[in-house]
Amino acid sequence: MPPQPLYLGEFEQLVLLAVLRLGADAYGVSIGRELEEHAGRRVSRGALYTTLDRLEQKGLLRWKLVHGGDERGRLPRRAYDLTPRGVVSIRAARNVLTRMWRGLDDVLKERS
Amino acid sequence: MTTPIEPPRLAAWLLRRALPRGVRGQTILGDLTEEFSIRSASARQGHARGWYWRTAMVVSARYAFERFQRKDRPSLPAQNRSSHMDNLFQDLRYAVRSLLKARSFTVTALATLMLGIGASTAIFSVVNAVVIRPLPLANSDQVMWMAETNRAGAVASMSWPDCADWQARATSFETLVCGRSMTYTLTGLGQAERINGRQVTWNFLRLLSVQPALGRGFIEADDRTGAPHVVLVSDAFWRKRLGGDPAAVGRILTIHNAPHEIAGVLPASFWFVSAEEEIYEPLGTATSIPAFVDRSNHMGVVAYGRLRPGVTESSARSEVEALAATLSREHPNTNTDIGAFLQPLAARIVGETGTTLVALMSAVGFLLLLACVNVANLLLTRSASRRQEFALRAALGGSRIRLVRQLLVESSVISAAGGVLGVAAGWGLLKGLLALAPAGLPRMEEVRLDSDVLFFAAAATVLSGLVFGLFPSIQASSLSGQQTLIRSGKTSTTGQSHRLRRGLMVVEVALAVILLVGAGLMVRTMQQLTSVDKGFDPRNILTLRYSIAGAGWSDERVVTFADNLITRTRALPGVTDAALTLSLPIEGSQWGSVFIVSDRPAPSRSEIPSGAFTPVSPGYFPVFGIHLLEGRLLLESDRRGQANVAVVNESFARQFWPGRSALGNRLKQGWPESETPWREIVGVVKDVKLNGVNRDTPLQVYLPFAQEPSAGPALVVRSDINAATLTQSVKALFQELEPNLPAYSPQTMEELMGGGMARERASMVILGVFAGIALLLASVGLYGVISHGVTERAREIGVRIALGANQRQVVGLVVRQGLMTTVAGIVIGVGGALLLTKYIKTMLFKVTPNDPTTFGMVVFTLAAVALVACYLPARRATRVDPTVTLRGE
Repeated sequence: MPPQPLYLGEFEQLVLLAVLRLGADAYGVSIGRELEEHAGRRVSRGALYTTLDRLEQKGLLRWKLVHGGDERGRLPRRAYDLTPRGVVSIRAARNVLTRMWRGLDDVLKERS
Repeated sequence: MTTPIEPPRLAAWLLRRALPRGVRGQTILGDLTEEFSIRSASARQGHARGWYWRTAMVVSARYAFERFQRKDRPSLPAQNRSSHMDNLFQDLRYAVRSLLKARSFTVTALATLMLGIGASTAIFSVVNAVVIRPLPLANSDQVMWMAETNRAGAVASMSWPDCADWQARATSFETLVCGRSMTYTLTGLGQAERINGRQVTWNFLRLLSVQPALGRGFIEADDRTGAPHVVLVSDAFWRKRLGGDPAAVGRILTIHNAPHEIAGVLPASFWFVSAEEEIYEPLGTATSIPAFVDRSNHMGVVAYGRLRPGVTESSARSEVEALAATLSREHPNTNTDIGAFLQPLAARIVGETGTTLVALMSAVGFLLLLACVNVANLLLTRSASRRQEFALRAALGGSRIRLVRQLLVESSVISAAGGVLGVAAGWGLLKGLLALAPAGLPRMEEVRLDSDVLFFAAAATVLSGLVFGLFPSIQASSLSGQQTLIRSGKTSTTGQSHRLRRGLMVVEVALAVILLVGAGLMVRTMQQLTSVDKGFDPRNILTLRYSIAGAGWSDERVVTFADNLITRTRALPGVTDAALTLSLPIEGSQWGSVFIVSDRPAPSRSEIPSGAFTPVSPGYFPVFGIHLLEGRLLLESDRRGQANVAVVNESFARQFWPGRSALGNRLKQGWPESETPWREIVGVVKDVKLNGVNRDTPLQVYLPFAQEPSAGPALVVRSDINAATLTQSVKALFQELEPNLPAYSPQTMEELMGGGMARERASMVILGVFAGIALLLASVGLYGVISHGVTERAREIGVRIALGANQRQVVGLVVRQGLMTTVAGIVIGVGGALLLTKYIKTMLFKVTPNDPTTFGMVVFTLAAVALVACYLPARRATRVDPTVTLRGE
């Protein structure tokens, strides 16, 4: 049976999307920068790590250890990846939004 | 590639402590390190460090909090372990909302705290500046103040030759300075003015480790007899009177009609003993006066010394005492029984004020405690009424810790808000205090609300929060949920809470008793001070001083000017009489001297009596309304060339000629071998409180001004209208007669007397305000507790009424309980007061610390107030309708 999607909060969705975008390069620093660039908001590192932990506990994210270089004092980093359940959940979230957005293009079109 | 810059080590350490162990924590640490490298490469170092610190604190806080939570409830489901900071913010929002809803509780609690913290902040500001903070001198605890003691053991100033000998011989000090305060007449810079200053030996600046801001300090050559006059001026003088002239050094000032060159300007940070001193000159100037270098004259000189490193205060004291003993052996004629006195300068400056301030600080502590107890009571009452809410939360699975935490957050919000309001109130109160403060209190110019005071306010706030927050919170959370929901009405905890509140009430009443007793004793002291028979009538008398100095003033000229001044003053509109005197009553004797009387052999040097001598013009006695007891007063005809006469006070007459007339006997001012004339006693007058209302009357001798003219007398003017209105016309008269002779310190006798009692009055007002607040808080608290007790016991009262209890019995029941609480509090309070009041003995005058009148009044007042506070809820109890209460909820 396919995994059941879980409800995702707004920030959680953004984090999962960022992980998807970054692919193999998804770790703490890059996720934070990706969010700041595209979501256009300052991301508190505290909130970020908490959310990453929470998504992991919910079973939507997993990670593996990668060795680090001099620029991080040779400390390792976690390379994040979505679990199947995570994929299902983010897809469900998009479907919900798409359904709600349908028919509103005209109303929400920006006047030029 | 350059080696990466390290992130701040302390922040990294913090992270390592807070983050989870193992790879989890390491990866996060690594991420932050990497980001730091990127940021510090692309932006300023400072920005990167700031970011790292901020992030480190936030991340550490989150993980540390999570660890704390997990330790407490390992079985918490995953959802609850997230965002504990959010929980805290949630508690905060809930607390604020809940407090805003319970408006009367919040306002009462905040007002109570504001008063308590505000009062303690204001008083602490003063105590900190005057007593706690060290003097603004380098290593101020090493600076000693020294003087000599006279035969009676009283501290008195030194003679100049003695001080010079100390300077030469004492080894305990790395610097020893001799000095005395002086007032100077400054002319040539606008109107003639009187300024305060000091004569000091040339090593003065070395004592203070201070360099002049402009010019130079004194050198040894300045300090010799007959050296050209040089002065150092203060920064305030330089700005105010010289307009901050950068070329001030070398300018000539006219002081006492002689040119004085400015050698240097002192820095703005300069401080020495008094903030009012503007000018310093070498003490060597005074050595040209023969009387000054006479070892038998003590003309205001004291010594200041900085201890050599390693020398203790007590060994320095032993040395100067030994020096004094040596000098009395070398100079038996002048130095017999003259001892030495040494005290740290800080203690000298604070003086008696210290006791008063400590007493006030203690009173403030009691008031703060009372405020906290009051708020604790309020909180207990409030949580008693929220029983249902707590029970519901417990039943729905809320943890006890969560509840306690939320209540603690609530009481923290109250205490934080109370603290902020308290500091604001304290700032206002401080302004009021400074306005009320008597002039001449030491170091008042240093009083301000600074970081020390804010730190104290913060500590008081936190402590208060703990005191009133902790046990209501714990007590509230111990309610068993099931019981309360099922059974409405009394539970076992209700009784416990009520007993707790009654216990707190006892504490409040006791504290109120202590404060009321303190205030009452001060009120009685003021009563006693104002009812002392002063010996003169102070109403409608204006006083001003003037000072003649410099060449060109012969004795004749001084007397002629004095006569002229009195005549012209008498002619002014509104003036009924005028006179001159050296010493003003209450202000104190300006001239103490030894003397001998004619009809017995001169006593040995150690036995020779001393008294207060004052030259007065004949109008002095009528102006002050001093009664003549025997003989005659001084007359206009008592002039130079006529017989030398004197008038003495009744204490003098009684001491030497008890039971007989003193008239016709003769006395001589000074040592037996001195050249002063013998004077015949022609009159005896009533005693006057010369040295202050609360001091003993000295032996007084009045001499005719014309025979013993003084260069620095006070003009006293009696008027039939408000004396203060004459100030301008009298000053104008001075200006007309002698433009270069400033008249200074104008004050009415009533103002002068008020100044003498200012400290007692200030203490009385402050303690009175505290006591009033305490009484208010205690009575409101008592009313609240009893009233709530009635509500709680509504069922019981309903039953009693249903069973036939009449109104009187119900009222009696309630009032009895309230009175028991009050009586217990009064007993404890009286006991505490009896123990504590002996520490304020020095503040009292003619009132014993255990004054029964005061204690009686306090007990009576509290009992009366308590009766009223109990009666009102008691009446409400009688209106309980048993049918309503017995029907239940």
